[in-house]
Amino acid sequence: MMTPRIRTFALTAHITVSVGWIGAVMAYLALVVAAMSSQDSGIVRAAWTAMELIGWYVIVPLAIAALLTGLLMSLGTPWGLFRQYWVVFSLVLTIVATVVLLLHMQTVGSVTRSMAATPGAALNGLPGELFHAGVGMLVLLVIQVLNIYKPRGLTPYGWRKQQERRTVSSAET
Amino acid sequence: MAQTPHEPDQRSMPGTPRWVKVFGIITLILVLLFIISLVAGVRHGPGLHTPSGDTGGSTQYASVAAHREYQA
Repeated sequence: MMTPRIRTFALTAHITVSVGWIGAVMAYLALVVAAMSSQDSGIVRAAWTAMELIGWYVIVPLAIAALLTGLLMSLGTPWGLFRQYWVVFSLVLTIVATVVLLLHMQTVGSVTRSMAATPGAALNGLPGELFHAGVGMLVLLVIQVLNIYKPRGLTPYGWRKQQERRTVSSAET
Repeated sequence: MAQTPHEPDQRSMPGTPRWVKVFGIITLILVLLFIISLVAGVRHGPGLHTPSGDTGGSTQYASVAAHREYQA
């Protein structure tokens, strides 16, 4: 288990990267809307380029950092990784969001390369782009709510661990 | 995660909380919708912009291809 000082440091890092991830997706959404609504090919091209840059250099690192710091916090504190339902849900949603993000960034990269290869082409945003970013935002907000409210509920594994602890502590007394 | 877990000691295995069931049902519905969309032929994922059989590299954005055809 972590010492209180290390735990506070890890918690600060986890909150920073997690909230940063949400903020970066909000900025990404603004660019998606700009790319979808503008008729100016220069603005659309610039928006897609910015989306690729923000995606690879801000959102992906923040997502991976959020996943790693979350794992660290779970394993280094009494919450555990599979003891509480809210931790399990947060972990699964974070993994899914990160995997979908990594796959989707391949699409963003290919679209941006396509645009660079054809200067002067009339371009629009992809309809699916708003869907991906919007659903991603929703998933991140769900994770945030779970992490703040921490709804009660022990998993069967968590209950067994609780019973083991109780047996050990009653044997010691 | 600043607080420590505070679960009441229970002698018997606790039932699944209601919020977990609701979450599970919503997740199940979303997964089913996704599978139905795939079965219905809605194209999805990175392959959406990649020609069939292409394993990577530069791909044609639909409107770019249309623009090239228009120029030709």
